[in-house]
Amino acid sequence: MTVVVEMSNVTKTFGEGTSIVRALDGVDIRIQKGEFVAIVGASGSGKSTMMNLIGCLDKPTTGLVKVAGEDLSKLNDKKLTSLRNYAIGFVFQSFFLLPKTDALDNVATPLFYRGVPAREARKKAMEILTKLGMADRHTHQSTELSGGQQQRVAIARALVTEPSLILADEPTGALDSNTGKQVMDLFESLNKEGKTIVLITHDLDVAKRAKRRITLRDGKVINDESGAA
Amino acid sequence: MNILIAARLAFARILATKTRSGLTMLGIIIGVMSLIALVSVAQGATSGIQDQFKGLGARNLTITGTTPQSITIEDAQAIAQEPGIEIVSETVSGRVTLSSNQASTISQIVGVDPDYKTVVDPDIFVGSFLPDVINANDARLIVLSTTLAEDLELDAYSIGSSIAVGSTEFTIVGILDDADGFGTRGTAYIPMETAFKYVAVPPYLSSITVQTVNEKIVPEVTKNLTALLKSRHNITEGREADFVITDASQILDAIGTVEQFLSLLLGGIASISLVVGGIGIMNIMLVSVRERTREIGIRRAIGAQQSQILTQFLIEAIVLSLIGGIIGVIIGEIVAYFLASLGEWNFALSPTIILASLGFSMFIGVVFGVWPARAASKLKPVEALRFE
Repeated sequence: MTVVVEMSNVTKTFGEGTSIVRALDGVDIRIQKGEFVAIVGASGSGKSTMMNLIGCLDKPTTGLVKVAGEDLSKLNDKKLTSLRNYAIGFVFQSFFLLPKTDALDNVATPLFYRGVPAREARKKAMEILTKLGMADRHTHQSTELSGGQQQRVAIARALVTEPSLILADEPTGALDSNTGKQVMDLFESLNKEGKTIVLITHDLDVAKRAKRRITLRDGKVINDESGAA
Repeated sequence: MNILIAARLAFARILATKTRSGLTMLGIIIGVMSLIALVSVAQGATSGIQDQFKGLGARNLTITGTTPQSITIEDAQAIAQEPGIEIVSETVSGRVTLSSNQASTISQIVGVDPDYKTVVDPDIFVGSFLPDVINANDARLIVLSTTLAEDLELDAYSIGSSIAVGSTEFTIVGILDDADGFGTRGTAYIPMETAFKYVAVPPYLSSITVQTVNEKIVPEVTKNLTALLKSRHNITEGREADFVITDASQILDAIGTVEQFLSLLLGGIASISLVVGGIGIMNIMLVSVRERTREIGIRRAIGAQQSQILTQFLIEAIVLSLIGGIIGVIIGEIVAYFLASLGEWNFALSPTIILASLGFSMFIGVVFGVWPARAASKLKPVEALRFE
């Protein structure tokens, strides 16, 4: 099995001297290709820091973080950005669609940044939107879409680059329970197709849908269980 | 990211924030508008004069005394003996009071010999210039410039009537068209012999105008005449001459210099407002970067390189300043057109000035867009994403 994310003895600290905060404190995990993992924890447990590291948005203070085989500590900003573009599909709590941009270009933007010609990028984006049932909304801007629709566009944006993993940060947090359930159904079916999915959440009901749950407290992994909860 | 996509995004943003973008562009619009209008004033006002000079007197040169007693009739006779010279025309001048029945004014009065008409070729508005052959020794005939005729409250029907030069009656034979020539404004012309009786003292002349055989030898003749007059006036090496020789090329050069100076001066003033406009753009772009911190964070998260963020914001600044520049050029040319019809010079679209203005406004966009764009590209993705 291919290891998508590897963390060994990772610490991440903020501040210095007496006001030093250990957001992560000796974390060891491995996430394989095709897994559906929920990272669970209360506010301040270190799960946001974990997400920033898995998402290649930040580097560890000590320890090793490898994403898609790349050691983050060894990458400069340019290569780290490139790694995010190729390896990670982000889904955020508040959708974070680009303003003044229609759904189609929102989905195509990661490919634009990669240098894919506009026509080709939009064609690919349209395919994904069609797959997620959003084809008829492709000219709409985010302000013209409902929360559930926006999150679908965001998921399409995460899928368009065919990333090594989809990293979703509280993807149902801004949705009503019914729409949230539909989004989770979507993740489940994507996982069935073989996509690797990492969910960051504090919601245990959401976490139950994942096949594996990693629980954090005070920057440490206190539980790592697989199978139905 | 594709430049076209960035440009389209920039247009979308400018349209989405119309009022703000409009106000931001206003500085550039006013700057480019004044640049175009002022430079066209400088060029228009001087090109008319230049055209007139190109038409006349390319083979003429004029010797003017620096004092009233510098050059004499004997000088003129000696000059006439020099090679390459076709005609020598002499003038004397003085200031007198001219009085019509309605008004009076103090004016420059010039006594001219019969050759003056050939050499200078003045344009007549009404009547005629002084006749070539004057039988009477004391021909009291006078030609007035239009300005002077207006000052004396005379009109086209005044030809043949008389005015007083000092206390002597003169008959008006013609009125000149002031729009032509240089220095004819406010001047009256009388025959030279007559002038020596009433307004000037022989043998002193105020100027000698020489017409050479062709314009190519003008510099050579100028050199010869300078040497001739210096020796006649006993001016030794190193001392300043008491006369000045000018030809049309010098006057054209002088007008050209004035035009360049005016263009630079007025253009420089306008450029200041362009720079101020640029600061306006920078200010708004900095606000925009702050407002869009999270958007920048999202873009960085999904794979935008720093250079791509920089390009996006830079293009936005350039599009802003360029649109401002285009609007400024259009308004500026309209203003220049109206100024030209007011000032009665020719209106001409100058592609150089238009391109330079657009180039300059683009340059302003780049210069004042770089800082905000760099600030945007340097945002840390983690912090930018968390920004509320």
